[in-house]
Amino acid sequence: MPVIDNVTCPVCGTLCDDLSVTVKENAIIDVKNACAVSEAKFMSFSNPKHRNLRPLIRKNGKLIESTFEEAVEKSAQILVDASYPILYGWSCTSCEAIRVGLELAEEVGGITDNTSTVCHGPSILSIQNLGIPTCTLGQIRHRADLIIYWASDPYSAHPRHMERYTAFSDGRFQESEWEHFVTRLRGILGRRRLNRASELVLMKEASLPVFSGQKLPPKFETRKRKVIVVDVRKTHSAEFADFFLQVEPNKDFELFQALRLLVRDGELEVNQVAGVPVDLLEEVADALVGCDFGALFFGVGLTMSSGKLQNIDAAIALTQDLNLRTKFVIMPMRGHFNVAGANVVYTWQTGYPFALDFSQNYPRYNPGETSVVDILSHDKADAGLIVASDPVSNFPRSAVENLVKNPLIVIDPVISPTTMVADVVFPSAFVGIEVDGTAYRMDRVPLPMKKLVDPPSLCHSDEEILRRILHQVKRIKQQRRKL
Amino acid sequence: MTLKLQLIKELRVPIDAGCICPDTFAGKSLNEIAELQIWEGNRKRLLNSLFELKEDSQETPDETNIHLTGNLSRVQRIGAGMKGGEITVQGDVGMHLGEKMLGGTIMVEGNAGSWTGSAMKGGTIIVKKNAGDYIGGAYRGSTKGMQGGTIIIHGDAGTEVGCYMRNGLIKIQGNVAQFVGIRMRNGTIVVQGSAAERAGAFMTGGKIIICNNVTSILPSFSIDSIKSKAKAEGEAIKGPFYLFIGDLADHGNGKLYVSKNKNEYLKSFEEFL
Amino acid sequence: MGGLLVKNGFVYDPLNNINGEKMDIAVLDGKIVEKTRNAKVIDASGMVVMPGGVDIHSHIAGSKVNSGRLLRPEDHYKDVEARTAKTRSGVGYSIPSTFTTGYRYSRLGWTTVMEPAMPPLKAKHTHEELNDTPMIDKGAFPLLGSNWFVLEHLRAKEYEECAAYVAWMMRATKGYAIKIVNPGGLEAWGFGRNVRDIDDPVPNFDITPREIVQGLCKVNQLLNLPHTIHVHTNNLGKPGNYITTLETMKCVENLATEVNPAIHLTHCQFSAFAGNNWRTFRSASEEISEYVNSHSHVTLDIGQIIFTNTTTMTADGPFQFILYQITGNKWVNNDVETETSSGIVPFRYKRKSYVHAIQWTVGLELALKIKDPWKTFLTTDHPNAGPFMAYPKIIAWLMSQKARDAVISKISRKARHKASLPSIDREFTLHEIAVVTRAGQAKALGLKNKGHLGIGADADIAIYNLNPEKTNLAKEPAMIRQAFKNAAYTIKDGEIVVKNGEVVKSVNGKTYWADLKASQSLLEIEPELQKVFEEYYTVKYENYLVPNHYLSIGAPIQIQTKV
Ligand code: SF4
Ligand SMILES: [Zn+2]
Repeated sequence: MPVIDNVTCPVCGTLCDDLSVTVKENAIIDVKNACAVSEAKFMSFSNPKHRNLRPLIRKNGKLIESTFEEAVEKSAQILVDASYPILYGWSCTSCEAIRVGLELAEEVGGITDNTSTVCHGPSILSIQNLGIPTCTLGQIRHRADLIIYWASDPYSAHPRHMERYTAFSDGRFQESEWEHFVTRLRGILGRRRLNRASELVLMKEASLPVFSGQKLPPKFETRKRKVIVVDVRKTHSAEFADFFLQVEPNKDFELFQALRLLVRDGELEVNQVAGVPVDLLEEVADALVGCDFGALFFGVGLTMSSGKLQNIDAAIALTQDLNLRTKFVIMPMRGHFNVAGANVVYTWQTGYPFALDFSQNYPRYNPGETSVVDILSHDKADAGLIVASDPVSNFPRSAVENLVKNPLIVIDPVISPTTMVADVVFPSAFVGIEVDGTAYRMDRVPLPMKKLVDPPSLCHSDEEILRRILHQVKRIKQQRRKL
Repeated sequence: MTLKLQLIKELRVPIDAGCICPDTFAGKSLNEIAELQIWEGNRKRLLNSLFELKEDSQETPDETNIHLTGNLSRVQRIGAGMKGGEITVQGDVGMHLGEKMLGGTIMVEGNAGSWTGSAMKGGTIIVKKNAGDYIGGAYRGSTKGMQGGTIIIHGDAGTEVGCYMRNGLIKIQGNVAQFVGIRMRNGTIVVQGSAAERAGAFMTGGKIIICNNVTSILPSFSIDSIKSKAKAEGEAIKGPFYLFIGDLADHGNGKLYVSKNKNEYLKSFEEFL
Repeated sequence: MGGLLVKNGFVYDPLNNINGEKMDIAVLDGKIVEKTRNAKVIDASGMVVMPGGVDIHSHIAGSKVNSGRLLRPEDHYKDVEARTAKTRSGVGYSIPSTFTTGYRYSRLGWTTVMEPAMPPLKAKHTHEELNDTPMIDKGAFPLLGSNWFVLEHLRAKEYEECAAYVAWMMRATKGYAIKIVNPGGLEAWGFGRNVRDIDDPVPNFDITPREIVQGLCKVNQLLNLPHTIHVHTNNLGKPGNYITTLETMKCVENLATEVNPAIHLTHCQFSAFAGNNWRTFRSASEEISEYVNSHSHVTLDIGQIIFTNTTTMTADGPFQFILYQITGNKWVNNDVETETSSGIVPFRYKRKSYVHAIQWTVGLELALKIKDPWKTFLTTDHPNAGPFMAYPKIIAWLMSQKARDAVISKISRKARHKASLPSIDREFTLHEIAVVTRAGQAKALGLKNKGHLGIGADADIAIYNLNPEKTNLAKEPAMIRQAFKNAAYTIKDGEIVVKNGEVVKSVNGKTYWADLKASQSLLEIEPELQKVFEEYYTVKYENYLVPNHYLSIGAPIQIQTKV
């Protein structure tokens, strides 16, 4: 049976590229090296219950099967007629499709936005304020002796992140923390039950006591590779940490600013910040300054809580301050497998990473104004095209209501609440499984996505569908110009 | 010349009406003005396809004045870059009102959108009701917020009032949301109502005066003294005020005045005086 | 493709010793030919005809450039390009979007541009952007000066193994030349450190920058690469660094051959600083040009400063960190595992700043003091010293003392008094301009079909509306600027793509890469490489490679190596 190696996983921004997939008679029968989330996708993506196999068009209120050509024609009509169409999604498709999508958005004078607008958009705005000291993940694997996950739970959202790039990976200058972790387990559980216990912990069925409290653990600084988890509640990732720092909800900003002051040897006029005693904060600040190479990963817990982009501003500023004392990097934990790629392609073609408005024939950018959620909340759009995304489940209610009342085209391999309310639905092929392409990892390392099996005969690639719509849009516009 | 513009269409998509500006109208005939170009979403339109235009022959000031009526909440960039003259709006108005304005006056009887007076350098904007976010702010990525002039909001304002402000005066008679005076470098912001968290975050200079309650003070601010009054562009505002200095995380030397009487919970800071 | 006949222009084709003679150039099937029949005629009478411009060093594509774009919305929004029937939209100023980059180069009459800093791990990104950069041919230089494999081979003096590795690298990344930035310093920067000078060993690797430069120079010769090593020196941007620069040139002196130079020093202006600190800072153009005038193994490009707000971006992480500290502006740093680093800081060069004004004189002094124009090329290290759109200005400065004086009268007084530039009266001829903007650069890059208009050359032609017979150009700098700003015609592969400064046709350019043919035994490094690969990188060996389909028009240059 053919085994395909070095497969890149089309699920999360960790973008593991070491999966081995076994294919038999155009079906995937086994995946190796994948985490549970990834395995679930590989093993169930082809389930016909979850996908449409033919294009659909809404007629008399009902979605009925149509030909590909009819769906293309209808979509092109909708887009050409619109004065302010939105083209949204793009983080679960290939860069090749995004390139065509941008040309289409330009051709129809639309607004195009990717899902960063609802996840790490604030992080991008912060980068535009301050810049960002960052690196590729291998630098962290080789060098980092202090790793911080802040408002991010890699165990659940990026399951192999720690194993591949941080605490449990081996690097040239840093060894895996794994042995130390096992020693810890051993101390707690006794030798015999160890194997079973570590299994349970990794499967999330059992939990470990978490190191937390008023002081850092003894000899913290002399340890080789240390992990601190900062969050509003104990996450599963916190169990793997050398220290868990609990912060009051919506007070991250205050904590960052306090740390910045301490890193600059300033003094605080309060006894605690965000529920953390100042003595402990001082210890943490010393640990930050004292490391050889520190890395701070943050998640949407920070971008979407009170303060939003200012939380990231403060986090980046802290990292920049720390570079005056040691080496420190910071990185957003990107969610969808190619959301970073969407930002990258948008930026090279137009100068801006998301929330693009082509309505005046050149790219304009002003998140808050040209971002899709804001446009929809104020009911300014008059048509929509969604690619590989499910805004009906994710957007605020008022935005969804306004999205749904306009003509809506959806290109998606799966059936979703958004496809169900659409006027035109294109079933597409899964990128990274049924069609190849390029995606960018969270550190913007480009990786090839493979085609492993053939898609159902009427499920074309996003790229192909978009190309056909673009072609048809051009034709309709040309005809109208002649009239 | 005084021109009256009445919106005659119900708007769906955003309108970019940067041409509605006294300097653009000046020296043009009514017909020429009627044919100025605006954007309705991705369609180019003539001004008179959306507005009915009339010249008010009774008023004949030297400057060009524009009176707008209708629900203009989707009309953006009115008065952008204006150098002189006057715009009055009966009703609400959209984003970027008076952006990069250099002189003249804009008076809005209703609400104004976000980015009102962003990067403005001179002139006056008065909003009789509420205003959105980023009043007197900067364009994305730029550090040039408001550099002069005056903005007065009679109602409330949103987040990040005066972001990257470098000079001028912003007065909010109502309340402000989070991050008033963020990254401000100079100039004055007066909040007659109360302010939500994080006033003065990252500020390096300038003055914020909060006359009512403030939800909290950032840990990176240090108390300096108690002042009986605070001065805002010549005007003295009666205190007493706690004066905080910050944002020390950015080596800042901004002044944050907070009413003493309305914020009893800040008494604990007095031990550092 | 129909033929073209460019009639009656003043032709400047230095590689074929044609110096402003009135003649016709015939084009067929994208090449220069002896003659064509029934060709479309372009009347170039009263105009200057040159080969299409060539840029040996301009940051136009890839991870770092794109981070610069993302960093600076405020840089874009005032300088936009709306779509037309022929062109895509985009943004301009210091870091234009990809389409705009291509169109703008083409409007200047440039047809070949080299992206000089490709992090190999992100090579796919560079190529994807190059594919979206129309109008020009291009190539990219992989960064190798702090690469672990290179450092380890060179430390062990395994030159042939290192050559095999570099040959593999050119294939793996579709690279064109060896780029060395702050040799060894970028590895040190991985822990926030740097190397002090060319003999300061790289932490943890026990090799000096001198050994890296010499080693890669030897490797370059073993491989017969078309271009020399392309070097951004240690200590770039620091007062007193000219000593390091001289040492760097000297350290490969004995590796020079009769025919080919051994080293290219890029954006030399940034490496020609004298003085002990910023107060005593002065130009070292004298010391550098003296050395270059008396040796034949060096070429350089100037990296001319433009007084404007631009974006600095180099692979030199520690240097960018210093700029961040000096300016307090926003700062991006992006280190790449096992290979390199990079940094970005927005920067404004001010006339009234003594240091910036001296930097401005250094670039021009280098160009004017180095006697042989074949050794020195016009660049702005786009966008580091200024956007490439400033080339017409620089051409005017080189051709006209009057143009220089106009600026000199406005710069910092202290700089005006200290600089040697005001006393230089050399004025470039159009022939010399053609050397420093195309012929010399093409020759240094080893691009045989570029930079000239001889039979068989690629039909990349620029026509400028400038009449050297009618005007004394040195007295009319505004005319020079105007003519070079909007090419009357740009012809790419035999097609008219620009007319009167407007893009009339969008075409895709080729991507050149060095397809090195080494002996079989050397090609057998792959299994060995694969073994350590996973220890060094977080991606799989297979996924690191750039397959051919990543280049929309790949143009491998086949080279027989000496190993
Ligand atoms: S961690 Fe993410 S990328 Fe890696 S296998 Fe799991 S889902 Fe896929
Ligand atoms: Zn460079």
